[in-house]
Amino acid sequence: MKKRIFLGFLVPMVAVAFLAGFSTAALAAKIKIGGIMDTTGATSDVGKDYAIGMEEAWKYINEQGGINGKKVKYTWFDYGYRIPEAITKYKLLKRLRSIVIMGWGTGDTEALSPTVNKDKIPYVSASYSAHLTDPKKTRYNLFFSSDYSTNARAALTAWLDKKWPTKPDYGKRKPRFACAYMFASPYCSAPIKAIKDHAAMLGFEIGPDQDVSLFALDTKSQIMALKEFKPDVVWHGNTTMSVAATMRDAYALGLGADFIINNWGFDENLPRLAGEAADNLVVMGATPCAFFGQNYKNMDIVVRTAKKYNPGIPTSKRLIRTIQAWGDALITWEALKRADKAGDLSGPGIMTKGFETMRKFDIGLGASPITFTATDHRPTTGCLIQEWKNGKFVEVERVDLKKRWPAKWAKEWLGW
Amino acid sequence: MSSVWMPCGDYHQSYAEDHGWWQTRFIKFKMLLLLAVIFVIIPQFLSGYVMSVASMVGYTAMGALGVQLLIGYTGLVTLGHAAFIAVGAYTSTLLVLQFPWPQWIMDAGLAYPISVLVAGVFGGIWSVLFGLPSAKVKGFYLILTTMAAQFITVDFILTQYVSRIGGRGQAFSLPPGTIKVGPWVIDSEREVYYLMAVILTLMVIVLANLLRSRVGRAWVAIRDNDIAAETLGINIVWYKLLAFFVAGFFAGVAGGFWVSNTAALSPEHFPWFWSLWLVGVILIGGVGSIHGAIFGSFFMVVIMELLQVGVIPLADYFPKLLMSFASLKEMAFGLAICAFLIYEPNGLAYRWWQAKNYFNLWPFSY
Repeated sequence: MKKRIFLGFLVPMVAVAFLAGFSTAALAAKIKIGGIMDTTGATSDVGKDYAIGMEEAWKYINEQGGINGKKVKYTWFDYGYRIPEAITKYKLLKRLRSIVIMGWGTGDTEALSPTVNKDKIPYVSASYSAHLTDPKKTRYNLFFSSDYSTNARAALTAWLDKKWPTKPDYGKRKPRFACAYMFASPYCSAPIKAIKDHAAMLGFEIGPDQDVSLFALDTKSQIMALKEFKPDVVWHGNTTMSVAATMRDAYALGLGADFIINNWGFDENLPRLAGEAADNLVVMGATPCAFFGQNYKNMDIVVRTAKKYNPGIPTSKRLIRTIQAWGDALITWEALKRADKAGDLSGPGIMTKGFETMRKFDIGLGASPITFTATDHRPTTGCLIQEWKNGKFVEVERVDLKKRWPAKWAKEWLGW
Repeated sequence: MSSVWMPCGDYHQSYAEDHGWWQTRFIKFKMLLLLAVIFVIIPQFLSGYVMSVASMVGYTAMGALGVQLLIGYTGLVTLGHAAFIAVGAYTSTLLVLQFPWPQWIMDAGLAYPISVLVAGVFGGIWSVLFGLPSAKVKGFYLILTTMAAQFITVDFILTQYVSRIGGRGQAFSLPPGTIKVGPWVIDSEREVYYLMAVILTLMVIVLANLLRSRVGRAWVAIRDNDIAAETLGINIVWYKLLAFFVAGFFAGVAGGFWVSNTAALSPEHFPWFWSLWLVGVILIGGVGSIHGAIFGSFFMVVIMELLQVGVIPLADYFPKLLMSFASLKEMAFGLAICAFLIYEPNGLAYRWWQAKNYFNLWPFSY
């Protein structure tokens, strides 16, 4: 009997669902956008909020009429930060005729980059690796934020401008700098060459790197190793959970260094997880956009949409990751509208008549104005550096690298 | 004995006959049909997506064959196979990118095939290094020594040193057109699929042949009772290490193939979870069977994909499903292993064997 129920009901249901899911005809009337997200893997501490934010953004875009009146069908998958799975998910989204794909991590985005180039599908990622910004190599990779290398250079510059002069040893010796990050992770390691180059240029003494896993809960051995070098400032390139673990250990063991953090490690959860370490250490981070709920243009839309579609998640628990997702969705929306108006929604059309026509395009949300050209996919020329101070995030400095080092920005720093 | 149909009983008169590949014309026809499906029908008539899923099945099966050899045929439990795949992938990539190949080898498109073979040898040697403790320990202790392969190889050597060659940080990227086999540039789903199909077919032939030789019988004897095997005159250390070499060779070649699929490489491609996954593949497919490695790979990749595709239309009505499915999938993996261990401990291969037997005897199955 049970077998009969199984064969008679469940199997046909799954088969119908499968056929319906696989049928591209079923989706024919809408513009298809794909998504590859991490809500269960190594970076899910920041990925879940991003995935939720991305879904909300596309729902809002549909409410506003979609792409010049054409509705969007946004289909996304979780790949659990497993690169082999990201590759099959990409192929599935291609099979479903997605014209743009919203991607996630550096490892999979860089792994997919040659394929994306060949397929000519614009790939708007949550990875802001500078390796994805040179159109000569990665023609179809994009994102709305300052890249990791720009973040790193800007954070180090801001620390040197604002914090180093307040230290007792200022003017007596070179400032000491070290990096903590997961060596094996392409995301974490992406800006290391750039920040060391910048540190050397600014006259820092550079110490040994420390390997901190994205899953780390205990980093005492790394902190003990750092104590021998006595850094004044430490760049942390991981995501929030392991950054918080490092800060707690640094505070407990009296490392005495300030922290500058890449954007995926610096969010509303950091002070919650790091506790008194966040309140007592100097903690600065690169912020590609405003934190959730901060008073900036278009923030009201994001908050309203979050409440509407996910009323079960209190807004106090929402993160800057939602805003980052909106940033990527909004530039894609604009590019698609422009390309559609020009009558060309092909991959090359979306690039040349959409993204690459943007000049200082303002999405609000505290993000810098965005520019893409056919020769340079660095969206912004600098980054806002904020710090956690007196129980809230406050602005330290908006560093514009292009203004400060125009020759290097133009000739040397593209693509790494 | 009929040369067309299998007889209802075992009428083989020699060992060679018992292990013959083409016992009847029907079997020959069946195998040729299978080869036609793999090499003609799938690549000619199915979409790029289906071929990419098939390539993932093949990549999984390449790794699983090595795990099957160690666990299923030799009784050496391993949880470090991802490390040997990583060694192969890095060897192949570094050779392609950094080795000063003579121009004629580059022109002839031999650099990548040679690098894959070398990757296999390196994978084999590396596997033997971590197989050395099997001379002294087995069971639970051997699991731990093979796990060490993952941490020493991927987390330490590859991450800290090998990945930094070339100064690009942690990831290698192969420029388009780098991966060539003879005149063919491997740059589309179809070519990757063909490459997978050829490599996997060769691996299955090699393993099947090894298993019906003296070497294979020695491995099975060690699995069944290593002390008894030694008393029969089998040098168990030698054969255990040989099993590690062959499994590592397969893993190295699988790593070399993986590079053709991604054209990019970082240590993140080889997490410890992948070793566990491969053990799950053979548990579900059937321990001690080449079919088991293939069926298990098919089940783990294709069923998961089908479930994912099935969720798409339902997500219109149940938007939370896409988010929930992520964790459901992880649970499905665990449940599938538990369910197979409890209800079908011999795996899918046993079901295949039962079905074959049924039709062998049909319509007089009684």
